[in-house]
Amino acid sequence: MSVEELAFLALAGVALVTGVAALLVRELVHTILWIALFFIDLAAIYFLLSAPFLGVLQLGVYAGAVTVLLLFGVMVTRKRIFSREAATGLGAVPLALAVVTFIFVVATVGEFPQGQLPVRSVDPSALSEALFGTYGPWLLLLGLVMLSAVSGAIYLVREGRE
Amino acid sequence: MTALPIVGFLALSAALVAVGLFGILTRRNFILLLIAIEIAMSAAILNFVYFAAFEGGPVAVMGQSIAIVVIGFAATEVAVGLGIVLALNRVRRSINVAEANELKL
Repeated sequence: MSVEELAFLALAGVALVTGVAALLVRELVHTILWIALFFIDLAAIYFLLSAPFLGVLQLGVYAGAVTVLLLFGVMVTRKRIFSREAATGLGAVPLALAVVTFIFVVATVGEFPQGQLPVRSVDPSALSEALFGTYGPWLLLLGLVMLSAVSGAIYLVREGRE
Repeated sequence: MTALPIVGFLALSAALVAVGLFGILTRRNFILLLIAIEIAMSAAILNFVYFAAFEGGPVAVMGQSIAIVVIGFAATEVAVGLGIVLALNRVRRSINVAEANELKL
Protein backbone atom coordinates (compact mmCIF):
# COMPACT_ATOMS: atom_id res chain seq x y z
CA MET A 1 0.00 0.00 0.00
CA SER A 2 1.45 3.32 -1.06
CA VAL A 3 1.75 6.44 1.08
CA GLU A 4 -0.97 8.17 -0.97
CA GLU A 5 -3.43 5.34 -0.35
CA LEU A 6 -2.73 5.40 3.38
CA ALA A 7 -3.16 9.19 3.36
CA PHE A 8 -6.47 8.83 1.53
CA LEU A 9 -7.76 6.20 3.98
CA ALA A 10 -6.79 8.37 6.96
CA LEU A 11 -8.39 11.50 5.43
CA ALA A 12 -11.58 9.62 4.49
CA GLY A 13 -11.83 8.22 8.03
CA VAL A 14 -11.37 11.68 9.56
CA ALA A 15 -13.99 13.13 7.16
CA LEU A 16 -16.58 10.53 8.18
CA VAL A 17 -15.84 10.75 11.92
CA THR A 18 -15.93 14.57 12.00
CA GLY A 19 -19.06 14.70 9.82
CA VAL A 20 -20.96 12.28 12.06
CA ALA A 21 -19.63 13.90 15.25
CA ALA A 22 -20.78 17.35 14.03
CA LEU A 23 -24.35 16.07 13.77
CA LEU A 24 -24.38 14.06 17.01
CA VAL A 25 -22.75 16.31 19.67
CA ARG A 26 -25.20 18.20 21.87
CA GLU A 27 -23.51 21.61 22.07
CA LEU A 28 -23.81 23.78 18.96
CA VAL A 29 -20.38 25.35 19.40
CA HIS A 30 -18.80 21.89 19.46
CA THR A 31 -20.72 21.08 16.27
CA ILE A 32 -19.11 24.07 14.58
CA LEU A 33 -15.63 23.05 15.77
CA TRP A 34 -16.18 19.55 14.31
CA ILE A 35 -17.47 20.96 11.03
CA ALA A 36 -14.40 23.24 10.79
CA LEU A 37 -12.20 20.13 11.11
CA PHE A 38 -14.35 18.45 8.43
CA PHE A 39 -13.80 21.35 6.01
CA ILE A 40 -10.03 21.38 6.65
CA ASP A 41 -9.95 17.62 6.03
CA LEU A 42 -11.74 18.11 2.68
CA ALA A 43 -9.13 20.72 1.74
CA ALA A 44 -6.44 18.10 2.47
CA ILE A 45 -8.24 15.66 0.13
CA TYR A 46 -8.19 18.34 -2.61
CA PHE A 47 -4.43 18.77 -2.10
CA LEU A 48 -4.04 14.97 -2.32
CA LEU A 49 -5.91 15.02 -5.65
CA SER A 50 -3.43 17.72 -6.83
CA ALA A 51 -6.05 20.46 -6.99
CA PRO A 52 -4.22 23.04 -4.85
CA PHE A 53 -6.31 26.01 -6.00
CA LEU A 54 -9.53 24.30 -4.89
CA GLY A 55 -7.86 23.32 -1.63
CA VAL A 56 -6.96 26.93 -0.84
CA LEU A 57 -10.49 28.03 -1.86
CA GLN A 58 -11.95 25.39 0.46
CA LEU A 59 -9.80 26.64 3.34
CA GLY A 60 -10.73 30.28 2.71
CA VAL A 61 -14.44 29.94 1.90
CA TYR A 62 -15.51 26.97 4.01
CA ALA A 63 -13.06 26.65 6.90
CA GLY A 64 -12.91 30.46 7.11
CA ALA A 65 -16.05 32.27 6.00
CA VAL A 66 -18.77 29.63 6.40
CA THR A 67 -17.49 28.54 9.84
CA VAL A 68 -17.40 32.12 11.14
CA LEU A 69 -20.86 32.76 9.66
CA LEU A 70 -22.29 29.70 11.43
CA LEU A 71 -20.59 30.70 14.70
CA PHE A 72 -22.10 34.18 14.28
CA GLY A 73 -25.52 32.59 13.77
CA VAL A 74 -25.16 30.64 17.03
CA MET A 75 -23.91 33.75 18.84
CA VAL A 76 -26.89 35.97 17.96
CA THR A 77 -29.61 33.38 18.43
CA ARG A 78 -28.85 32.32 22.00
CA LYS A 79 -28.17 34.06 25.28
CA ARG A 80 -25.35 31.70 26.29
CA ILE A 81 -23.47 30.15 23.42
CA PHE A 82 -22.57 27.02 25.40
CA SER A 83 -26.15 25.90 25.87
CA ARG A 84 -27.07 22.33 25.14
CA GLU A 85 -29.39 21.25 22.40
CA ALA A 86 -32.46 19.19 23.30
CA ALA A 87 -31.86 15.55 22.42
CA THR A 88 -33.66 14.65 19.23
CA GLY A 89 -32.54 11.02 19.15
CA LEU A 90 -31.32 8.96 16.24
CA GLY A 91 -34.60 7.89 14.66
CA ALA A 92 -34.75 4.38 13.20
CA VAL A 93 -36.35 5.36 9.88
CA PRO A 94 -33.86 8.15 8.94
CA LEU A 95 -30.94 5.90 9.94
CA ALA A 96 -32.29 3.04 7.79
CA LEU A 97 -32.92 5.45 4.89
CA ALA A 98 -29.34 6.75 5.12
CA VAL A 99 -27.91 3.20 5.17
CA VAL A 100 -30.09 2.17 2.19
CA THR A 101 -28.94 5.27 0.25
CA PHE A 102 -25.30 4.42 0.96
CA ILE A 103 -25.72 0.78 -0.15
CA PHE A 104 -27.65 1.81 -3.27
CA VAL A 105 -25.02 4.38 -4.34
CA VAL A 106 -22.12 1.98 -3.65
CA ALA A 107 -23.89 -0.77 -5.64
CA THR A 108 -24.23 1.55 -8.63
CA VAL A 109 -20.56 2.61 -8.69
CA GLY A 110 -19.50 -0.98 -9.50
CA GLU A 111 -19.11 -0.21 -13.22
CA PHE A 112 -16.35 2.35 -12.64
CA PRO A 113 -12.72 1.25 -13.07
CA GLN A 114 -11.76 -0.87 -10.08
CA GLY A 115 -8.00 -0.42 -10.29
CA GLN A 116 -5.88 2.57 -9.48
CA LEU A 117 -5.95 5.60 -11.72
CA PRO A 118 -3.14 8.15 -11.98
CA VAL A 119 -3.91 11.58 -10.59
CA ARG A 120 -3.26 14.30 -13.16
CA SER A 121 -2.66 17.82 -11.92
CA VAL A 122 -4.31 20.82 -13.56
CA ASP A 123 -2.31 23.90 -14.46
CA PRO A 124 -3.82 26.81 -12.47
CA SER A 125 -3.28 29.17 -15.41
CA ALA A 126 -5.37 26.87 -17.66
CA LEU A 127 -8.02 26.78 -14.93
CA SER A 128 -8.20 30.56 -14.67
CA GLU A 129 -8.29 30.93 -18.47
CA ALA A 130 -11.25 28.54 -18.64
CA LEU A 131 -12.97 30.10 -15.64
CA PHE A 132 -12.85 33.64 -17.04
CA GLY A 133 -13.08 32.64 -20.71
CA THR A 134 -15.12 29.56 -21.60
CA TYR A 135 -17.09 29.42 -18.35
CA GLY A 136 -17.23 33.20 -17.87
CA PRO A 137 -21.05 33.36 -18.19
CA TRP A 138 -21.38 30.87 -15.33
CA LEU A 139 -19.14 32.98 -13.12
CA LEU A 140 -21.24 36.03 -14.03
CA LEU A 141 -24.41 34.08 -13.14
CA LEU A 142 -22.82 33.14 -9.80
CA GLY A 143 -22.17 36.83 -9.13
CA LEU A 144 -25.79 37.72 -9.96
CA VAL A 145 -27.10 34.93 -7.71
CA MET A 146 -24.84 36.14 -4.87
CA LEU A 147 -26.07 39.73 -5.34
CA SER A 148 -29.73 38.71 -5.23
CA ALA A 149 -29.04 36.42 -2.25
CA VAL A 150 -27.40 39.24 -0.29
CA SER A 151 -30.29 41.61 -1.09
CA GLY A 152 -32.72 38.90 0.01
CA ALA A 153 -30.83 38.32 3.26
CA ILE A 154 -30.79 42.08 4.01
CA TYR A 155 -34.55 42.22 3.31
CA LEU A 156 -35.12 39.34 5.75
CA VAL A 157 -33.18 40.84 8.67
CA ARG A 158 -33.80 44.55 8.18
CA GLU A 159 -34.97 46.75 11.04
CA GLY A 160 -38.62 47.55 11.68
CA ARG A 161 -40.02 44.39 10.19
CA GLU A 162 -42.06 42.38 12.65
CA MET B 1 2.23 11.15 -10.61
CA THR B 2 0.40 9.29 -7.86
CA ALA B 3 -2.14 6.49 -8.37
CA LEU B 4 -5.28 6.17 -6.27
CA PRO B 5 -8.37 3.87 -6.40
CA ILE B 6 -11.42 5.76 -7.71
CA VAL B 7 -13.95 3.41 -6.06
CA GLY B 8 -12.74 4.40 -2.59
CA PHE B 9 -13.37 8.06 -3.36
CA LEU B 10 -16.87 7.34 -4.68
CA ALA B 11 -17.63 5.29 -1.55
CA LEU B 12 -16.53 8.26 0.59
CA SER B 13 -18.91 10.52 -1.36
CA ALA B 14 -21.76 8.04 -0.93
CA ALA B 15 -21.10 7.86 2.82
CA LEU B 16 -21.07 11.68 3.10
CA VAL B 17 -24.40 11.92 1.24
CA ALA B 18 -25.84 9.31 3.65
CA VAL B 19 -24.56 11.26 6.69
CA GLY B 20 -26.01 14.51 5.31
CA LEU B 21 -29.37 12.85 4.56
CA PHE B 22 -29.48 11.42 8.07
CA GLY B 23 -28.79 14.86 9.54
CA ILE B 24 -31.44 16.55 7.39
CA LEU B 25 -34.05 14.00 8.47
CA THR B 26 -33.32 13.91 12.21
CA ARG B 27 -32.07 17.31 13.39
CA ARG B 28 -34.59 20.00 14.36
CA ASN B 29 -32.19 22.92 14.82
CA PHE B 30 -31.97 25.19 11.77
CA ILE B 31 -28.16 25.63 12.04
CA LEU B 32 -27.62 21.86 12.30
CA LEU B 33 -29.86 21.46 9.25
CA LEU B 34 -27.66 23.92 7.30
CA ILE B 35 -24.56 21.97 8.37
CA ALA B 36 -26.11 18.67 7.22
CA ILE B 37 -26.90 20.22 3.81
CA GLU B 38 -23.28 21.45 3.58
CA ILE B 39 -21.99 17.91 4.28
CA ALA B 40 -24.18 16.45 1.52
CA MET B 41 -23.14 19.23 -0.88
CA SER B 42 -19.43 18.61 -0.15
CA ALA B 43 -19.91 15.08 -1.50
CA ALA B 44 -21.08 16.52 -4.83
CA ILE B 45 -18.13 18.92 -5.02
CA LEU B 46 -15.74 16.07 -4.16
CA ASN B 47 -17.14 14.01 -7.06
CA PHE B 48 -16.36 16.78 -9.54
CA VAL B 49 -12.81 17.03 -8.17
CA TYR B 50 -12.21 13.23 -8.35
CA PHE B 51 -13.27 12.91 -11.95
CA ALA B 52 -11.28 16.03 -12.83
CA ALA B 53 -8.17 14.53 -11.20
CA PHE B 54 -8.54 11.12 -12.86
CA GLU B 55 -9.40 12.44 -16.33
CA GLY B 56 -6.93 15.27 -16.94
CA GLY B 57 -6.91 17.74 -19.84
CA PRO B 58 -9.88 19.99 -20.70
CA VAL B 59 -12.31 17.75 -18.79
CA ALA B 60 -10.30 18.33 -15.61
CA VAL B 61 -10.43 22.09 -16.17
CA MET B 62 -14.21 21.87 -16.62
CA GLY B 63 -14.64 19.75 -13.49
CA GLN B 64 -12.64 22.12 -11.32
CA SER B 65 -14.47 25.13 -12.76
CA ILE B 66 -17.82 23.53 -11.86
CA ALA B 67 -16.46 22.76 -8.38
CA ILE B 68 -15.50 26.42 -7.87
CA VAL B 69 -18.96 27.61 -8.98
CA VAL B 70 -20.68 25.06 -6.68
CA ILE B 71 -18.54 26.20 -3.73
CA GLY B 72 -19.74 29.75 -4.43
CA PHE B 73 -23.38 28.65 -4.54
CA ALA B 74 -22.99 26.69 -1.29
CA ALA B 75 -21.53 29.74 0.49
CA THR B 76 -24.43 31.87 -0.81
CA GLU B 77 -26.89 29.29 0.49
CA VAL B 78 -25.37 29.51 3.98
CA ALA B 79 -25.65 33.32 3.93
CA VAL B 80 -29.36 33.21 2.99
CA GLY B 81 -29.96 30.37 5.47
CA LEU B 82 -28.51 32.45 8.31
CA GLY B 83 -30.69 35.39 7.23
CA ILE B 84 -33.70 33.09 7.63
CA VAL B 85 -32.33 31.90 11.02
CA LEU B 86 -32.12 35.49 12.29
CA ALA B 87 -35.62 36.38 11.01
CA LEU B 88 -37.07 33.18 12.54
CA ASN B 89 -35.31 33.83 15.85
CA ARG B 90 -36.71 37.37 16.01
CA VAL B 91 -40.32 36.30 15.38
CA ARG B 92 -40.51 32.93 17.19
CA ARG B 93 -37.72 33.29 19.80
CA SER B 94 -36.43 29.87 18.70
CA ILE B 95 -34.65 28.31 15.73
CA ASN B 96 -36.49 25.00 15.89
CA VAL B 97 -37.70 24.20 12.36
CA ALA B 98 -40.72 22.31 13.78
CA GLU B 99 -42.10 25.66 15.02
CA ALA B 100 -41.76 27.35 11.63
CA ASN B 101 -45.02 25.90 10.35
CA GLU B 102 -46.33 29.02 8.60
CA LEU B 103 -44.93 30.55 5.42
CA LYS B 104 -45.51 34.05 6.79
CA LEU B 105 -42.81 35.02 9.27
